[in-house]
Formats: sequence, C-alpha cells, structure tokens
Amino acid sequence: MQKFLNFIVKLGSVDRRIIFLLVGLSVLIPLIKPLKIPIRPTSQSQAVFDAVSSLPAHSNVLVSFEYGPSTKPEIHPMAIALLRQLFEDGHKVFGMALWPDGVFMSTNAFNQVAEKEMHLTYGKDFVNLGYKPGNEAVIKGVASDMRALFTVDTRGNQISDIPMMQGVNSVEDFNLVFSLSAGYPGSKEWVQYATDPHDILMSTGCTSIQVTEILPYVESGQIQGILAGMPGAAEYEKLVGKVGLATGMMAAQSIAHVVIVLFIILGNITYFIQRKQSKKS
Amino acid sequence: MFTAEMLGAWFAAFLTLAIFSYLYDDNPFYKAAEHIFVGVSAGYWAAQAFWAQVQPNLFGRLWPKIAEGSELTILERMWYGIYDFMGMIAPKGYFPAGGIEGHDQIRLSYLIPFILGIFMILRLVPKVGWLARWALAYIVGMAAGLRFYGYLNSDVIEQAKAAVVDFSGSWVVILNGFIVIIGTITGLLYFFFSREHKGALGKASKIGIYFLMISFGASFGFAVMGRISLLIGRFNDLIRFKGADYSHATYWILGAMIILLAVWAFQKKDDTGELTT
Repeated sequence: MQKFLNFIVKLGSVDRRIIFLLVGLSVLIPLIKPLKIPIRPTSQSQAVFDAVSSLPAHSNVLVSFEYGPSTKPEIHPMAIALLRQLFEDGHKVFGMALWPDGVFMSTNAFNQVAEKEMHLTYGKDFVNLGYKPGNEAVIKGVASDMRALFTVDTRGNQISDIPMMQGVNSVEDFNLVFSLSAGYPGSKEWVQYATDPHDILMSTGCTSIQVTEILPYVESGQIQGILAGMPGAAEYEKLVGKVGLATGMMAAQSIAHVVIVLFIILGNITYFIQRKQSKKS
Repeated sequence: MFTAEMLGAWFAAFLTLAIFSYLYDDNPFYKAAEHIFVGVSAGYWAAQAFWAQVQPNLFGRLWPKIAEGSELTILERMWYGIYDFMGMIAPKGYFPAGGIEGHDQIRLSYLIPFILGIFMILRLVPKVGWLARWALAYIVGMAAGLRFYGYLNSDVIEQAKAAVVDFSGSWVVILNGFIVIIGTITGLLYFFFSREHKGALGKASKIGIYFLMISFGASFGFAVMGRISLLIGRFNDLIRFKGADYSHATYWILGAMIILLAVWAFQKKDDTGELTT
C-alpha cells in the first residue's frame, strides 16, 4: 500500500512539461483523427436562436465584432453561423468593430457568408462600417448619432451614399444588437451604454472566460441568451443546421477537459496523501 | 511558387511555434515573437486610430472638403492656409488638397479635442508637460461621468430588480430566486468590513465565501475551456500549414527550431556550467 501511495505522490509531482505535452497531445490527436461527439444545445444557445428567429422580416441587425485573431477559434464560428441565419431570414446586417483587428474578422465573415455562399449585394443586404477607436464612447456615439461617428465604411464609401444606411441614424433604428465579444469593450458595455438605456433587444456570443461576467445580464433578461465559447458556437451551428468549424473542434475540447480534470483529481489526491504523511511524521 | 499567402503562413507557423517554445524555457525565439507582437500591435493600433478616427472625424470636421465652385471668405482662406501648411510638412495623402471628404461644414468646436490632443503630446516636452494634465483631467472626468450612469442603471438597478424572487413562477424558479438572493446578500456581507465578522454576520459572510468560491470555480472552468479553444485554433493552423500547399511550413520550422534551441541550450550550458531544463 505504501509503495502505491508513494507512486501516486511521485505521479503527482511530475514535471510540468510532461503535463503540457499530455494536454497538447489530447488536443492534437482528436484534430488529426476526428471523433464525432453528440452536441445538445443548451437553453442559453436556444434563447439566442429564438431571439434571432423571432425578428420581424427585413429587420436591421447591428453585429459588433469585438474580437481578434487570438480569440478567433471561439468566436468566429459563431459569427459565421449567425450571419448564415440572419441572411437566410432576409435581415439587413450592419457590421462594425470596437477592436482594431475586429475589422479583419468582420471582413472575413462577410466575405465567406454574404459574398461567396449567398451572393448578396454590398450596401443593400449588408454593410461593414469598420473600426472606431474610443471604446464605450463609440457605443455612446452609436446610441445617439451614428452618422457623426461613421462617415465612411471599410470600402471608402460615404455613409450617405449607401442605400441600406438610409433612415439608420442611431441604435434605435436596429431591431437587434448582437455583440461578438472577447473582452473590453464588449457585451457589457453595449448593455450599459446602448441597449439598456434605449431598450433595444440584445444578444451575445462571447469567449468562455467572459461567461461568468455576462451571465448575470442574461439571467436578468438584459441580454437574450448567450453563446458560451466554442461549445456555444458548436451548439449554434447545430441549431442553424449547418455543421461548421466549432463542431469539428469539440472532440479535442472535450478530451482535453477530461485530461485536465484527471490531473486536478490526481493533484488533490497527492496533496491529501502528502498532508497525511507529513502529519504522521 | 512562393506566394504572399505562403509567406504569411510560414511567418504564422514560426510565430506560433516561437510562442510555444516558452513551454521549454524563456528563449530567443519566444522573446523575438513577443517583441514583434508588441511592436506590430502598437503600430497597427496607432495607424488605425489615425485613419479611422483622427483624420476623418477630427481633421475632416475642422477642414472639410471645399465644394466645387464655392467661394471662401478671407478667414476661411486663412484657416485652409493652416491646413495646406500641414499638408506640406506631412507625408502625401494625410491632408488631401482642398480638404477631407465626409463633412460639409467647418466645425470649430472640434478645436477643443484638437488642442487637448496636442496637450497630451506635450507630455514629451518636460517644460510644458504639465499641460497634459488638462487633457487627462478631461478624460478622467468624462469617463467617470459616462460610466456612472451605465453602472448605476445596468449593474445596480437592473441587477437588484433581477434578484427579486418571482413567486408567480414554478417551484424551481422560486427556489432559484431564493438561492440568488441568499448568494447576493451573503456575498455582499462578506465585503462589509465596518463590523467584525462574528455571530450572525460571521455565519452569513461564511455562506458568502462559499458562493464566491463556487463563482471562482466556474470562472476557472470557463478560463480553462477558453485557453484550450485557443490551443485548438493554433493547432488547427499548424496542421493546415504542414500541407504541401504551404511547402510543409510547420515541419521545416519545427525542425529548424528544435535544432537551434538545442544549440542555444548547449551554449547556455557552456556559459553557466549546467544544462537548462
């Protein structure tokens, strides 16, 4: 028994680089040899889907891209699935970014879904207003007077010359604000400075790390549902009915979680054994 | 053929593997990637801020494009003389001839942010650096005022409303409401330091600690999930770049990096007398 306990203690004090390697392999192997795992949408993802589905025909939807390449694996699949649903339902999509690299993400997402997949017309079905520095001041600007803030779009067109911008002056002209958020400024700031004061429907897709911060707003009804990280994106892909990147990556995510949980359990067992042994001695 | 896309892929693979190399040890590859990231981020942000905000929204309002055929007053001509002078000293394209498109009339009120912006830059000149405090005072005051309303409305009033138990719902909703209100009150009591945490207050704050621990546990779990998602993203790109389309970039860079790291480690061993592990 003592030998076994010593073995466990030794296992618990393994070099951290071995742990890095095992976690890395647990992610890499399922990506090379894909596994199929069942995905069941949670009530929060379903709430997002329902909020978008319940919009009246030809609604104006503001999609804010507040993420960059570092959080692309989590948020971008959500953006793709969301745009597919919005365009299939015939809504007009207005893209903007509160993060400088958000413009790359919005351009990429519009290019893939609106232009390549659905062959929609720029300026009539969708528009990309681009990035504005200023964090919550930009949100406040969108809430009061968008035209004072945005004079040209990402393609250099004057806002006044874009057909779908006619009659769109502030956040009150949108039926839904959707924040694709990876941090500050993001969903929280949209709630505080735009959607709450002007009583506009809002929903969000955010990184896993932000979920606990955003959930109170979801529980209180200030935000309609939440797409929580990569699992949220995979669930939304299932709801929209088109398998995408996130679904393919969920096996790696799940196996890595199992490995990490096993290491946490092992670490705790080792801790208790060592504590017991030190008390005895 | 080596295209621009391939060059980008090779560079992305190098930077990814350079960052991963930190898992072995702090090394020159990691440091190079870190410095490139900081430099590129700062440069890109500055360029974006100028072309997306300062140029069209500040200079564009102070010196809007003069409509064809319109006649300028003497004062306006003098005003546009300043603009032309700035156009002469700045690189081509920063101040296009005849004004910036996007606005139709001169808005002199925008001189205030322009002057405050100059004050901020004056921080670099020690003698008049104190002027930057005026700009900072404006930023702090504006941010405090802006955030006060947002927090009070969305985080205090709305959240307090949401913490009320809804007795019209099912027993699950009522139970959930009670858990939320107990968690909220006991969590707040834990941060009440005006009285010693003894007796009823001590017990309540201890319950608050449990709620906080559950919250921190959930945050940790989500943080792990987020980090694994990022790792998946990087691995996905490395798998893509290992293909023949990118001339097996991942394999070449990984191999070269392992060899160079081994050389670096042995050189370090020679310097210090021991091999870094």
